[in-house]
Amino acid sequence: MTAMLAVNGIEVCYGAITALHGVELHVEKGEIVTLIGANGAGKTTTLRTISGLLKPRAGSVQFSGANITGVKPHVITARGISHVPEGRGIFANLTVHDNLELGAYLRKDKVQQSEYDRVFTLFPILKDRIKQNAGTLSGGEQQMLAISRALMSKPQLLLLDEPSLGLAPQYVQKIFAVIKEINAEGTTILLVEQNAHMALVTAHRGYVMETGRIVLHDKTKALLASDRIKKAYLGG
Amino acid sequence: MNQKLPFIIFALVMAAIPFIPGVPPFWIVLLNNIGLAALVAMGLVLLTGVGGLTSFGQAAFCGFGAYTTAVLTTAYGFSPWLTLPLSLLVSGIAAVLLGIVTVRLSGHYLPLGTIAWGIGLFYLFSKLEFLGRNDGISGIPPLSIGNFRMLDPGTIYFAIWIAVLTSALLTMNLLDSRTGRAIRALRRGHIAGEAFGVQTPRAKLLVFIYAAVLAGLSGWLYAHFQRAANPTPFGAQAGIEYLFIAVVGGAGYVWGAVLGAGIVVILKEILQSYLPYIFGGQSQLETIVFGILLVVLLQLAPTGVWPWLMARLPLKPARKLTDTSLPPATRVRAPASPATLLQIEKARKQFGGVIAVNDVSFDVQAREIVALIGPNGAGKSTTFNLITGVLTTTGGTISVLGHKVDNAPPQEVVKLGVARTFQHVKLVPDMTVLENVAIGAHLRGSSGAISSMFRLDRADEAKLLAEAARQIERVGLGDQIGQLAGSLSLGQQRIVEIARALCVDPVLLLLDEPAAGLNDRETHDLMNTIHAVRDRFDIAILLIEHNMELVMGICERILVLNFGKTIAQGTPEQVRSDPVVIEAYLGEPVEEAEL
Repeated sequence: MTAMLAVNGIEVCYGAITALHGVELHVEKGEIVTLIGANGAGKTTTLRTISGLLKPRAGSVQFSGANITGVKPHVITARGISHVPEGRGIFANLTVHDNLELGAYLRKDKVQQSEYDRVFTLFPILKDRIKQNAGTLSGGEQQMLAISRALMSKPQLLLLDEPSLGLAPQYVQKIFAVIKEINAEGTTILLVEQNAHMALVTAHRGYVMETGRIVLHDKTKALLASDRIKKAYLGG
Repeated sequence: MNQKLPFIIFALVMAAIPFIPGVPPFWIVLLNNIGLAALVAMGLVLLTGVGGLTSFGQAAFCGFGAYTTAVLTTAYGFSPWLTLPLSLLVSGIAAVLLGIVTVRLSGHYLPLGTIAWGIGLFYLFSKLEFLGRNDGISGIPPLSIGNFRMLDPGTIYFAIWIAVLTSALLTMNLLDSRTGRAIRALRRGHIAGEAFGVQTPRAKLLVFIYAAVLAGLSGWLYAHFQRAANPTPFGAQAGIEYLFIAVVGGAGYVWGAVLGAGIVVILKEILQSYLPYIFGGQSQLETIVFGILLVVLLQLAPTGVWPWLMARLPLKPARKLTDTSLPPATRVRAPASPATLLQIEKARKQFGGVIAVNDVSFDVQAREIVALIGPNGAGKSTTFNLITGVLTTTGGTISVLGHKVDNAPPQEVVKLGVARTFQHVKLVPDMTVLENVAIGAHLRGSSGAISSMFRLDRADEAKLLAEAARQIERVGLGDQIGQLAGSLSLGQQRIVEIARALCVDPVLLLLDEPAAGLNDRETHDLMNTIHAVRDRFDIAILLIEHNMELVMGICERILVLNFGKTIAQGTPEQVRSDPVVIEAYLGEPVEEAEL
């Protein structure tokens, strides 16, 4: 197995309810892979299992050849997987600047000014708010901050859960452009998105989930052309 | 039905214990102590575990109960049965007085406040002449029924455990009701509950009094069990121990209080009896070992032993089937109701130097679907908060159906028929979808705490649950009705919020980013739902949304905000081709973005 990330038949339960029934997927180094599907299909659960927030009842997760099943989340982060959860996950009592700095907490190299510049080009409003406490930002601005913080972390593998959630249209376009950009700079990405069209246009390969199972996977070009996908997720 | 069987078995076992030959009398004393502690801890379950109000001062309320009966029976010759209601009343009145001051406190100040009066009342008990100062009052008569006097531990045992079991039953009934849902929502902050008419300060005071009355009952029993009362068991030390019991057992669970009391009382007893044999001497070793064991226990079962135990039992709660056929109590819609539902004139909101909403004016007419769009941080959610009374305006006026609401509390706004959802989901994750949605129907029921405790609320309750179930079906989440809200995906949780808002039977529905987290097909379903709601129930809708397909597809009018100001308004066609809107918000023409 040479895949950077290999998820082998994981099964996850919440109490009596089984959320994942043997999910299989893999991500190769340098790829953008997207996971799409209806609400409640298990996409977020899959990401949470990969980053160690949930323990699978069966199956395993391999990262760079090592078994990381059941390993503590902070250890997984230190090994190079960074997870941006959906919704807010910012430190409300710290300033915007400190939140961004914390994104680079585990990095050994120095944060380049160009990386700040990229964040500020992407979301100019964050530059205006740099000294404000993050808790005073609007909902959408907090989402911008959460994504920006993840961009600063430069992980080997970035797990993005709905980066476009709550963003105004003009930013949705930009965020997908930046996802491609950081991928070109060497970060491998596993992307969960409800905006299936943008996700499929951005990614190389895609997996489709339904009720806790992977039901389809292919190159994104093929998925975009598939009638089944059009009907179910693209509103076609 | 399924819940009643274990309760009956437990009650029968407890009733049989004293009759088992060879049970040492000492065990009965221990069980009495467990029962007394369980009563106090049960109040803390409701107050701290469910309501989120931490109190270290509950022992003081035991003191009120114990001293009331001690004084009245010894000095005035009252019958103990007559002092029972008086003991509860005195504890309750003390709780009202202390509660009015205390429950307003938040954060660290609330527990600190309870410690303060816990210590203060202890000294008061030990300094008052008529309470016997430090020596207390002795010679309290035993409880008696006719000529049967409960003199020994084996007889008062029944009084104590009948009190425990009755209180447990009443407490569980209370939690499973309209009032109970309001209490269970307290811990998650006050905004969501208040948006549906819950009077949060009143709900907090209610649990505070309830917990105090249970502690008063324990104190009353204690006084007649020991036949004496002195200040020591009612001090701050004891108050801390009661909180400990509730936490060890599982602070959110009624039976956790009983289990926690059992664990703590028995553990202490074992350590006190056996450690001196092992290590010898009069050292305070048992306190240290006791502390270590409790820390270990909490490491193993951080939410308490009761839920830890339940998770390991194969018992699964049966899903309650809800009868959706019951007629709902619907809002009377005056036929001549004004066509203008919402009128906003020059509304302004200033946070320090930032003007979040800057003289915004618009209106929503009956049966209209209006969108509020604009870049992130434009002041859209703040506008919602101004309308619904979460925030007060700095200037301007907001009226709903002709009533001025710009400084009205959320509970008043929802009474007028304005219901909302939140940008950041505000559900109670450990309540089911059904229970969460039923909070939306809070104002359509009327049963209070007392009727819930005695199950007199069932007809009212059934209507609320039926309405909740119907709205859940309407938004298409029927399969998830019995699941915990926290186990749903974020997109589904937003839909649950819509169902909860519909339970208000609103005239105006405010939706804050309802399609965030939904894929295209789910968004289409949502658009159909919104249309259906408007067409069938004459509900006007004001929504904030970034999904242009939804906005352009269903809205008749669009208002665009930027930096708190209205920069454009009009029909979808007018707005999508407005260069100012394209520049500030859309980024590029919508057709291309949709590509």
